[in-house]
Amino acid sequence: MKIIIIGAGVVGRTIAKKFSDEGQDIVVIEKDERIIKELQESLDVQLIQGSGSSPEVLARAGIEQAEMVIAVTNSDEVNMVACLIAETQSRVPKKIARIRNPDYLNYTEIFERDYLDLDFIINPEKVAADRILKILDTPGAIDVMDFIDGKLKLVGVKLSPDSELAGKKARELGAFFVNGNVIIIAIYRGSQTIIPQGKTVLEAGDLIFTIAHSREASSIPRLFNNIANEKTAHKIMIIGGGDVGFFLAEALEGKGHLIKIIEKNEARCEFLAEKLDKAIVISGDGTDQSLLKEENIHDLDTFIAVTNDEEANILTSLLSKRLGAHRSVALIDKPEYLSMVSTIGVDVAVSPRLASVSDILQFIRKGKVLAVKTLMEERVEAMETIAMETSDIVGIPIKNIKFPMGAIIGAVVKGEEVILPTGETTIEAGDKVVIFTLPKTIPQVEKLLMVKPEFF
Amino acid sequence: MRVFFSALPYYISGVLPSLTDAVFEASSGITTTGASVLTQIDNLPHGILFWRSMTHWLGGIGIVLFSVAILPLLGIGGMQLYKAEASSITGDKFVPRIKDMAKILVKVYLFLSFVMMVLLLISGMGLFDAFVHAVGSISTGGFSNQNTSMAYYNNALMEWLIIIFMFVGATSFNLHYDFYKKGIKSYLKSEEFRFFFFILLASTVLIAINLKVTGYVGSGSIIRDSAFQVTSITTTTGYSSVDYARWPAFSQLILLILMFVGGCAGSTTGAIKSVRILVLFKFIYKELYRLIHPHAVAPVKLNGRVLSPEIVKGVAGYTVVFFLVFVVSALLLTMTGMDLVTAISSAAASLGNIGPALGATGPMANFAELHDFAKWVLIINMILGRLEIYTLLILFIPAFWRG
Repeated sequence: MKIIIIGAGVVGRTIAKKFSDEGQDIVVIEKDERIIKELQESLDVQLIQGSGSSPEVLARAGIEQAEMVIAVTNSDEVNMVACLIAETQSRVPKKIARIRNPDYLNYTEIFERDYLDLDFIINPEKVAADRILKILDTPGAIDVMDFIDGKLKLVGVKLSPDSELAGKKARELGAFFVNGNVIIIAIYRGSQTIIPQGKTVLEAGDLIFTIAHSREASSIPRLFNNIANEKTAHKIMIIGGGDVGFFLAEALEGKGHLIKIIEKNEARCEFLAEKLDKAIVISGDGTDQSLLKEENIHDLDTFIAVTNDEEANILTSLLSKRLGAHRSVALIDKPEYLSMVSTIGVDVAVSPRLASVSDILQFIRKGKVLAVKTLMEERVEAMETIAMETSDIVGIPIKNIKFPMGAIIGAVVKGEEVILPTGETTIEAGDKVVIFTLPKTIPQVEKLLMVKPEFF
Repeated sequence: MRVFFSALPYYISGVLPSLTDAVFEASSGITTTGASVLTQIDNLPHGILFWRSMTHWLGGIGIVLFSVAILPLLGIGGMQLYKAEASSITGDKFVPRIKDMAKILVKVYLFLSFVMMVLLLISGMGLFDAFVHAVGSISTGGFSNQNTSMAYYNNALMEWLIIIFMFVGATSFNLHYDFYKKGIKSYLKSEEFRFFFFILLASTVLIAINLKVTGYVGSGSIIRDSAFQVTSITTTTGYSSVDYARWPAFSQLILLILMFVGGCAGSTTGAIKSVRILVLFKFIYKELYRLIHPHAVAPVKLNGRVLSPEIVKGVAGYTVVFFLVFVVSALLLTMTGMDLVTAISSAAASLGNIGPALGATGPMANFAELHDFAKWVLIINMILGRLEIYTLLILFIPAFWRG
C-alpha cells in the first residue's frame, strides 16, 4: 500500500518509520532540505523535497496511486490544502490531517464528506491535554490509557521502596488485591522492558504497567506507592498558556478545580484572561522561583509544565517538587528524555507527538482483525484480536498455552463481559483478546494466533 | 426646546399659571421622571392629562433610541458598553443601520405599550386610566391620573401587572429584540439583567423583613407593597401604592440607595444604571484581587468579554460626576430651607428621573410647595440625568465652543 506522509516532524517521522518497518510503500514530502538529508540516512522511504500544498509536488510523489495521505506539517492550512488536492485530483480514499487551530475545529462542516472529506483529524495539543486530564483523575499514576472502549484502564505506576510489594514475585500479587484482580502487563526497569511472568520479582523504582477494570483503576496506585494521603488533584498550577495549557485550564476549571496558569507572553495572558472564567492568570516566567513562591506553590497538589520548551518543563517540574508540589507533570517530546525523567523525579511525562502517533495508528487500524496500540515510547504494543477456531490459544486454560516469553494476555472479552484472565481462564473462538507484547515478539504472537498481519 | 414646547399646553390652558411650574411639569414628563407640581390631578381635563402622558411616552422611546443608537457612537461615560450589549442589533447583518434599528425599537415599544393597556383594561381599569398607566409604566415615567397614584385602586392584580411592565420597561430593549429572535435565554445570558433582577429581589426581601419586624400594616400583603415600591423606585418609574415616606428608616434608606441604581442600559430608566454599578463592583473586586496576586492578569469582564480600561475609566468617571451633581444640587436645595431628607432624596429622585422622593416630596405629597429656585434646580437635574450628564455638561466646557 502506498502512503504519502506530508511533513517530517516528530509525528511524520515516527509514523513513516512505523509503516516502513511494516513493509508499506512510503513517500515523505518535506520542505526543509536539512531534514531531508537527515532522514535519508535513517529512513528507508522515498523522500521528496517540496511543499505539501503544491499539486506538482504531490503529483511527483505519486498521489494517483496513493491509498492514504497523512498531512502532519506544522501548518493547518498546508495540511488542509494537501488533503483538498488529494481529494479533488485523485480521490485518495483515506485522508488524515493535523488541525490544531481551535477556530477550525468549531466549524467542522469543512471537514465533512462534501468538502475536504477528512477521515481523521488529529490535534496533538488536544490529545496531550486529554491524556494529562486522564492521568490527573488517577492520583499517583504516571500514565493512564483506555482499552475496550474505556471498560478497562491501563495504569502505570512507580513502585516505591516502602511499598510492601517491593521484592515480591508477580504471582504473589493476587493476595494484595481484595476486589477483583489486576494484571501486570509490563515493567520498565531503566531502559529494560520486561513482560512479567509469575516468577518475575518487582523491584523498587520499577515503572509498573497494570491493567484493571475502570472502576478499580483509581485504587491501583495506592498499592504500589504509599500515597494513602494523596487526594485527587484540586489545586493545580499550570506553567505555559499555549494550546495545551489553555485546553487543560478550561477543562479543569470546568470541573471546579482551583487553577493558576502562568504565561510569559502578555498578549497571550490577556487572551487567557478573557477566555477563562475562574482560573487565575499570572503574567510571568514559570522558572522564576520568587514568582512561584509568591503564588504559594507549596500549597498546590499538582504542577503541570506545558511550555514549548521541554528542557524548561523538566527543570520547572523538578523545581516545583523541591518547593513542595506533590505531583509534577511535564510535557516532553524528545523520546530520549521520556525514558529518563521518571528517574530524576518528574512524576508524569506526556508527549503530545507520540500520543498523536498512537492515536493515528489506532485510527488506521481500527476495526481490523488485529488492532495494535503503541504504548509509552513504543516499548510495548497492545494487540486486540478475535480468537479464531484454528488458533492454538482456543479451548485450553491459559496456563497451558505455550505463550512466547515477551508477551502476555491482558484481557479477554466474552460478549459484553470483560475478563482479566487468570491461569484457569479458557479462551473460546470468537472472544476478543488483548495481548501485550514487546515489538520483537510480535511475529511469534501472530504465528500463535494464526492471523496474518493484515492491517488495512 | 422640546421642554418649553411641551410646557405650552400647561401654561396656555391655565392649569399651571406659573411658567416655572409649567416647565417643571413638562421636563418631568419628557424626562420620564414623573414628579408633579399638580395638586388636584383628578379634576383636570383629560386633554391635559393625555398630553402629560404623551410626554412620558415620547420621552421614553426617545431615550431608548438615544441610548441604543446614539450614545454608543459618542462613547460617553463608558457607554461603548452598549455596543457590546447591543451586539445582536448592531452586529447583526440583518439590521445594519441606525434607521432600521430605530424602526424595530419603536415597534417593540408600541407593542409593549398596547399589550400593557389591554391587560390593564382586562384587570378592570377604565380606558383612560389604563392608557395613562400603561404609558407611565412602560416609559418608567410614573405619571398617574390619580392624586394618590396606585394607592387609589388598591388592586393586587393591577399592581402586579404594573410591577411586571415597569420591569419590562427597565430591561434593555436590545434584550427584548434578542428575545424576539432567540428566546428567553437572551435575558438569562445578560449579566446586567441578572444583576438588576438580583437587586430587585434582594431589596424586596430586605424591606419585607424590615416591615414585618416593625409591625407595619399596609395594603395587606407586605411582599406586594415591598415589591411594588422597590420595582417602582429601581426602575425609576415613581408610582407608589402606599406611602413609603412613613416606612421605617432602614426601608427608606434602601429606597434612597435604589434611586441611584436604575435599570438596564438601553432601557427607559434613568439613574446610574445597573450595568455601571455592576462594572464598578467588578472593578473593585479585581483591584483587591490584584493585591493578592500582584502578577495576575485580571481584566474586568462583562458577559464573557473583556472591557477595555477606557470603558471602565469612563464608567468610574461617570459615577463620580453623577454623585458630584447630586451633592451640589442637594446643597442648592437646602439653601431654600428644605430639610435634609427631602433635599437629599429630591436631588437623587430628580437626577435619577424617578419622581417622588422621601420626606416632604414623598409619594403622597408633591413638588408644588417648593421654592421656585428649588424647582429650577430639579428641572436642571432631571434634564442632566436624562441626557447622561456629559452631553449637557459639555456645553459648559470652553473647548467645546472653540471647536
